[in-house]
Amino acid sequence: MTVAAGIGYALLALGPSLSLFIALISKKPFLILTLLSSTLVWLMSLIVMSALWRAFLPLKSTAWWPYAILILTSVGFQEGLRILFWKVYKKLEDILDAFADRVSKPRLFMMDKMQIALAGGLGHGVAHAVFFCLGLLTPAFGPATYYVEKCSKIPFFLVSAIIALAFATIHTFSMVIAFSGYEEGNKVDQCFAPVVHLIAGMLTLTNLAFGGCMIGIPLLYCVAIVTLVHCGKMAWRRLIESRSREGNFSNSQ
Amino acid sequence: MSPVSICMFLVVLIVYTLSSPSSSDNQQVIRTAANLIYLESSSDTTTQKLEGALLNAVVFVVLITLVTFLLVILYYYRFTNFLKYYIRFSAFFVLGSMGGSICLTLIQHFNIPIDSFTFCLLLFNFTILGVISVFSQGVPILLNQMYMVALGIIVAAWFTKLPEWTTWVVLVALALYDLVAVLAPGGPLKMLVELASSRDEELPALVYEARPNVGSRSGNRGPNLGLLLAGFSDGDPIELRVMSSSENVVQNGRGVNEMRSESEDIDGVREVEIEGEMLPLMGSSSNERERPVVNEEIRESNESDRGRVLEREIEEEEERGRGIKLGLGDFVFYSVLVGRAAMYDLMTVYACYLAIISGLGCTLILLAVCRRALPALPISIALGVIFYFLTRLLMEPFVVGTSTNLLMF
Repeated sequence: MTVAAGIGYALLALGPSLSLFIALISKKPFLILTLLSSTLVWLMSLIVMSALWRAFLPLKSTAWWPYAILILTSVGFQEGLRILFWKVYKKLEDILDAFADRVSKPRLFMMDKMQIALAGGLGHGVAHAVFFCLGLLTPAFGPATYYVEKCSKIPFFLVSAIIALAFATIHTFSMVIAFSGYEEGNKVDQCFAPVVHLIAGMLTLTNLAFGGCMIGIPLLYCVAIVTLVHCGKMAWRRLIESRSREGNFSNSQ
Repeated sequence: MSPVSICMFLVVLIVYTLSSPSSSDNQQVIRTAANLIYLESSSDTTTQKLEGALLNAVVFVVLITLVTFLLVILYYYRFTNFLKYYIRFSAFFVLGSMGGSICLTLIQHFNIPIDSFTFCLLLFNFTILGVISVFSQGVPILLNQMYMVALGIIVAAWFTKLPEWTTWVVLVALALYDLVAVLAPGGPLKMLVELASSRDEELPALVYEARPNVGSRSGNRGPNLGLLLAGFSDGDPIELRVMSSSENVVQNGRGVNEMRSESEDIDGVREVEIEGEMLPLMGSSSNERERPVVNEEIRESNESDRGRVLEREIEEEEERGRGIKLGLGDFVFYSVLVGRAAMYDLMTVYACYLAIISGLGCTLILLAVCRRALPALPISIALGVIFYFLTRLLMEPFVVGTSTNLLMF
C-alpha cells in the first residue's frame, strides 16, 4: 500500500514531465543531450549554493528572513546560470548553423529551437522535482507517513509532490519564454523568467506560517498557470509569424 | 546509453529491496578477491579502514593485472578457443551461482511460493541460454544484449556487498588501472585490442554490442580504425571493454562540432552517411518534409537508415551509440557506484547517475576526437565519486533543511 502511495507521489510530481519526455524529447538524441546537460547544470548550481550555505545550516531560528535571503540568493544564482546556459547554447547554435550552411542544409527551424529550449527547461524542472521531492520520498515507501507541524492537514510527501509539480511546470516553460526573449531581445520576456521564479520561491515562504500551505499552494499554482498561458501565447504568436514568413514553401508545420 | 541506464536502474532496485531489511540484522560479509586482506568492521577507526581499503584495492588491481596479462598471452599464442570456452564457463558460473543466490534472496524477501525443483529447472534453462548466447552468431542480438545486461547486474549486485570504504577505494583504483592499461604503452588491454584489430577478428570477451554485425558493416571500409576500450577483468576473469569503430562514432553525432572536424578528412561515401544521420538528429519528422532536399543521395541514405532503424527496436541508442561496444566492466562498475549510492539515499543515486552519464558522454566525445582506444571508466568514475561526496556532504543538509520547511525555489 505504501509502495503504491510512494509511486503515486513520484508520478504526481514527475508525471507531466515524464509524458513530455516520452512524447517529445526521447525521439531525438540531441534533445536528450540538452536535457541531461541542463539537469547537470542545475545540479551543479544546487551544489554550489549548498556549499555557500553550508556554514549557516541548519537554520534554527523561526524568523522568516534568513529563508528569504536564502531563496533570493539561490534564485539569483540560478538565473545567472540561465543566462550562461543561453550563451553556451547560442554558441552551439552558431556552430550548427555554420555547419548546416557549409553542407547546404537548412538551418535550425524555429520549432527545433523551441524544442531545445523546452528540453533545457525540462531538465531544470526534472532536476528540481527529483532533488526536492523524489530525494525525500525514500521514507514514503516505508510503513508510515509524515506530517509537518505547519501544514498538518496533508501528508508532507503529498505537499512536496504538489509543490514540485508546480515548480517543474514553472521551470520548464519559463526556460522557453526566456530563450525566446533572449533571441528576440524582448525585455519583458527576458525579465519574466527571473521574476516568476522569484515570486514562486517567495510564495513558498507562506508555508512557514501555520496553515500557510492552504494559501501558498493555490497561489503557486496561479503562478504556474500564468507561466503556462504566457508561454502558450508566445509560442502561438511566434508560430503564426514564422508561418506567414515562410508560408510560401511550407504547407505543413 | 539506455542499456547502461537500465542496468543501473535494476541494480538500484535490487540493492534497494535487499538492503532495507538486511540492514538491521548483521549481514555476513563475503570474502572475495576484493577484500582478501582486510575485512571491514564498523568499529574500526577511520585510519584502519582507509589502510585496509587501500591494501584491498592494491591486491585487487594486482590480481586483475596478472589475469589480464595471462589472457593477453593466451590470446597472443592463439588459444582463442580456450578463451572462448573459459568465458562461457565463467558466464555459466556467474549466471548459475551468483544469479541463483540473488534470485534466492529475492524469493525469500518477497515470499514467492516456488518449489526447489522448478526453481532449479528455470535457473538451469536461463543459464544455458545465456551461455549459448555469449558467442554464437545465430542468437538474436536482443537476447545477447539482455544477457550482457543481466551479467552486469548480477556481478554489480554482488559487488555492492563489499564494505563501504573498500568499494570506494577499489572503484578509484580500477579507474586508474583502466587508464594505465588502455593508454600506457605496453598496457595489457591496449595490447589486446591492437592484437585483435591487427588480426581483424572479434575480441574473445564479453562485450555489449549496440548494433548487430558491426564487423560486417564496417568491414568493407577496412578494419576498424579506432577502438575505444575500457576493459579490465574482475575476480573471475570476465573481459570487459568498450570499443567502437571510429566510423560509427563519427556517425553517432555526439558532439556536432567534432563531427564537422571529422567530416573534413573522410571520403564522400562517409560524408553522405553523416548527413543521413544529421537529419534524425536535428529535425522532427514534420520539419523534414519541408526541407529542400539538396542531395538525392543524402535522402536515400537517410531513408535506408530509417528503414534499418525501424527494423530494430527504436531507441535513442540506435542513433547515438551505434556500433559502440561497451565493456561489461563499465556496466558493472557504473552500477556498483550507483548501487553503493543507493544505500545512502535516492538523491545521491540521481546525482551519481547524472555524473556517470555525462562522463560517458565526455568519453564518447573524446573518442570522436582521438580515434583510438580510450578507457571509459576514469572520467565517469571520477565524476561519480566527486558528485557522491559533494551531494552527501554539502547538498543533503541543505536540501533536507529547506524542503522539510516546505521551502522550494
